[in-house]
Amino acid sequence: MKAAGKTAVRLRADEFRLLRWGLGAALSVLGAATVLYMEIEAPVLMTLAFAAALATALFPALPARVPRLVHPLAFPVIVMLFAADLWRGGELLPAVVRLGLLLLIYRNLSYRKRRDDLQVILLGLFLIIVAGVLTVSLTFAAHLLVYAAVALALLLVITLGEAAEAAAPSEPVGETPAWARSADWGALRRRLSAVADWRAVGLGAALFAGLVGLSALLFLAIPRFQFENSMFIERLVSRKARSGFAETIQLGQVSEIQLDSSVALSVDVADQARIPAMPYWRMLVLDDYAAGVFRQSPALRGQFRGERSAAFLPGASPRETEETEIWTFYLEAGVSRYLPLTGPFGGLRFRETVTFRHAPGPSLVALRDEPVAMMAYRVEAPGHGPLLLDPDFAARWAAREPGVSRGTPLYTRLALREPDREALRKAAADITGGATLAAPEFARRAGEWLRRRHAYSLSPSIPRGDVDPVVGWLVSDGAGHCELFAGSLVLLARSMGLPARVVTGFRGGSWNAYSNNFTVRNSEAHAWAEIFDESAGGWRRADPLQPDVAAQGAGAAGPAAAMARVDRSWTARLDSLRVFWYRRIVSFDDRAQAEALRTMKEAARDSSRWLVDRLSAWADSARRWLSGPWDARRWGAGVGTLGAAVFIGWILVTGRWRWRAGGVRRPDPVRREAGRWMAALRRAAGGEVSSWRVAADLERLRFGAPATWPDPGRTFTEARRAVRAARRARPVTPRT
Amino acid sequence: MSDFVAAGRITEAKRALDRVRENMRATIRGKDDVIDHVLVCLAAGGHLLLEDLPGVGKTTLAYALARSLDCSFSRIQFTSDLLPGDVTGVAIYDETTREFLFKKGPVFANIVLADEINRTTPKTQSALLEVMDRARVTVDGEPHPVGAPFMVFATQNPVDYEGTFPLPESQMDRFLLRLRMGYPGADDEREILRRAHGGYDAISVNPVITRSEVVALQALVPQVYVEDSVIDFILRIVTATRTEAEFRCGVSVRGSLALRSAAQARALARGRDFVVPEDVSSLVEPVFAHRLAPARPTSDALEERRAVAAALKRLVGAIPAPA
Repeated sequence: MKAAGKTAVRLRADEFRLLRWGLGAALSVLGAATVLYMEIEAPVLMTLAFAAALATALFPALPARVPRLVHPLAFPVIVMLFAADLWRGGELLPAVVRLGLLLLIYRNLSYRKRRDDLQVILLGLFLIIVAGVLTVSLTFAAHLLVYAAVALALLLVITLGEAAEAAAPSEPVGETPAWARSADWGALRRRLSAVADWRAVGLGAALFAGLVGLSALLFLAIPRFQFENSMFIERLVSRKARSGFAETIQLGQVSEIQLDSSVALSVDVADQARIPAMPYWRMLVLDDYAAGVFRQSPALRGQFRGERSAAFLPGASPRETEETEIWTFYLEAGVSRYLPLTGPFGGLRFRETVTFRHAPGPSLVALRDEPVAMMAYRVEAPGHGPLLLDPDFAARWAAREPGVSRGTPLYTRLALREPDREALRKAAADITGGATLAAPEFARRAGEWLRRRHAYSLSPSIPRGDVDPVVGWLVSDGAGHCELFAGSLVLLARSMGLPARVVTGFRGGSWNAYSNNFTVRNSEAHAWAEIFDESAGGWRRADPLQPDVAAQGAGAAGPAAAMARVDRSWTARLDSLRVFWYRRIVSFDDRAQAEALRTMKEAARDSSRWLVDRLSAWADSARRWLSGPWDARRWGAGVGTLGAAVFIGWILVTGRWRWRAGGVRRPDPVRREAGRWMAALRRAAGGEVSSWRVAADLERLRFGAPATWPDPGRTFTEARRAVRAARRARPVTPRT
Repeated sequence: MSDFVAAGRITEAKRALDRVRENMRATIRGKDDVIDHVLVCLAAGGHLLLEDLPGVGKTTLAYALARSLDCSFSRIQFTSDLLPGDVTGVAIYDETTREFLFKKGPVFANIVLADEINRTTPKTQSALLEVMDRARVTVDGEPHPVGAPFMVFATQNPVDYEGTFPLPESQMDRFLLRLRMGYPGADDEREILRRAHGGYDAISVNPVITRSEVVALQALVPQVYVEDSVIDFILRIVTATRTEAEFRCGVSVRGSLALRSAAQARALARGRDFVVPEDVSSLVEPVFAHRLAPARPTSDALEERRAVAAALKRLVGAIPAPA
């Protein structure tokens, strides 16, 4: 009955079942895909889940091939696997996630009933929510959006298919169901496009868009709560550091980070000119060196004060009285548990209470745990000069006893063998020419000396043999990376008796022109040196790879430098989305939220004003046009417009323009109304209506020629009366 | 159709048909539905094919109708040696006037009973074709109109196929309705048995309707109003027969026109000047069944007829009537 119109085409029960099967597989894939960014050890399970969902979606007859014995055993085995996993790993959440994956796999290997489909929806939702809480990433939002759409579609299909499936014979258990045997996605697609009514599809899309819009409004309007604190999930996962920014760094580790071009840090600054031309983001200080490994000495680790839990950390440098500069940092997960900072700070504010340790001397902050999601913090009155004042160390240095370095680090230790020391001394003498130099001058000359002898390269040529790698490289003329440069400078300084240390972190960054924030990528990882300047009473940054010493200073970015680092690439565009998302979800107080609401309100007011202005401008121009002199051209345009308006009105009124091809034409309102009353009377009278006089009139109104119609209003009134009378009369009529 | 039909003419037409019905009921016992359909056929100006076993009253029905009408009636008993000229008439040479004179055949009557129509040769059967379609006979290039009204009342026996020539489809399509008589009910048959039966000539009924009344009735039928949704309903049924896999081919355009005018006639017979969906659905089987052949022919004609009727019933049931 193709030609009988689209309305007559309905999906058959088998087609509903196949559609349900396909949507369920899609949900399984979406749910399993969350493991990709959750960093939970389940690559095998995830691959299996993908494979199971895709294979059974393509070949729906496959689950019938699963041995029948599997089904009664499946749940006990899954529970046992979960228990074993929990016992072995000791962590609840990864085990639960793996359990979810196992269930998803099993659900794809057996034919699902309706309640099993609901279970798939819930399992996928659980995985997505866990992933969302763990990562707070933009991917999560997109993922959830797609998931919600597919899940709604599945629920719709379940609802629509219920009647059809109830009418169809139920499938015998243990056999390949008919729909799976004859599954043909191409045919289903054609049937769907035949059945699909664009108005229904449009309505569905509009409803979904409305849902998303409402959620977004609610999201803006509800008070912020601390996701991580209210859900303990974060604590259930321990993660390995992805990066090399740990307390121990082997030669080459920082350079490895540079190979990764993803964003490590985004900084919100009110004015990009406040960021120095070449900013240095300090994270770690490494004071101990032995055999190619830089590490924090126990003494330096002792400088960290005890663990504290707080949302605010007052800093060393005085907070300015008038408008305090505030930089907001968004540190990506997996970079380090040491927070990147530009130097001393007036205060450090977190979104929530966090547990951390603070070393005021080297101006370092270390969280207890590496954050598993993006970590946001605000730095008030950040200092970013080349000199880091350290009065404690200055006092200690002044009061040092020669040859003794117990307790506190003096940053002069050289754990080298004698030949290496000798080589070092020779090189130092070559730099200084035998003179005793102050720290800044020594740093400058040593930098020049190193740059003269060595080229910069990410693949260094380190001489092999019995010699210490850094010293060996130092006396050779091979190329090297930043760690070699920085380590060499520190060793040279120490051999001259100057306190020196290696600092790791990031150098540079770019200004994202789309989201107006500063972006630092992992590829900007860097190591440099700090040498103690006794006369200044602080640590002076010494970057042997930065020839322009002035640029190492605090000099604010000039317009040229600012322009040079503006990034308008496609990656910047994508990163701007991420920052936009961060700004929306991260809030330190209610200010940001109020700001967002105000912005929205203003935008709405502006656009309505724009609309009113535009309309009144149109009205004005129309009035001017009408009041102008009328010539033939004007008359033509006016009559043409009028004719078009009349034509459109005629189409609207008479409905001559049929939008639908084929199908049942809707009768006019009087006929429809008469048909409704007829049906109501038939229901009320129990089928037989010929005894009612009004029935003939109704029939005439419905099917008769309009010229012969009785008065519709009076007829409908009578019909109403007749329906009531029939209802009253009916219960007493004896049933035959 | 937009012409306004005076309510008086409708009532008049209904009364006339009611009179014929009453008259026929006196002769044919317990076959009210068949009589209703015969009246529909009469009002719509169509031809009728009566099909059943011998001896269930086919010919009696034709006689009863013919006698109720004040019209000329003729009966042609179709046999295998009947020639076309025996039906239409022949031109013979008149010695006195020295020219050919057309001698009218038995088809020149208002009601023609073609008894056992499938017993004659296709040549003679097709001689009926033009008469049925155009209500005229052409002999030697000269047209001779038959009577008005003109109605062929054919009967045939579907079971006994020995030595018969089944009607070609082109001729089947020209019958408006095909009806089955069926056996009468037990009470009706007892009544028939009780009464003495004295042959067809003993059927004594008085004419209750004049020839001009029948012509006026037939002119009124096309003016019965058919609402758009009812036309859509007809269209959907017709389309369904064309897409349904159980039929060898669907109903022709002549078939859909036939359904429309039959529905209009039924509405008129019930005193309505408009068609309701029930008019259409109740006439689908008699109008369409003989125009359709099952896709898988069987050797048993009755079996085929049952299959077609069942498929039609299912098909009409699946199409929602306009409400």
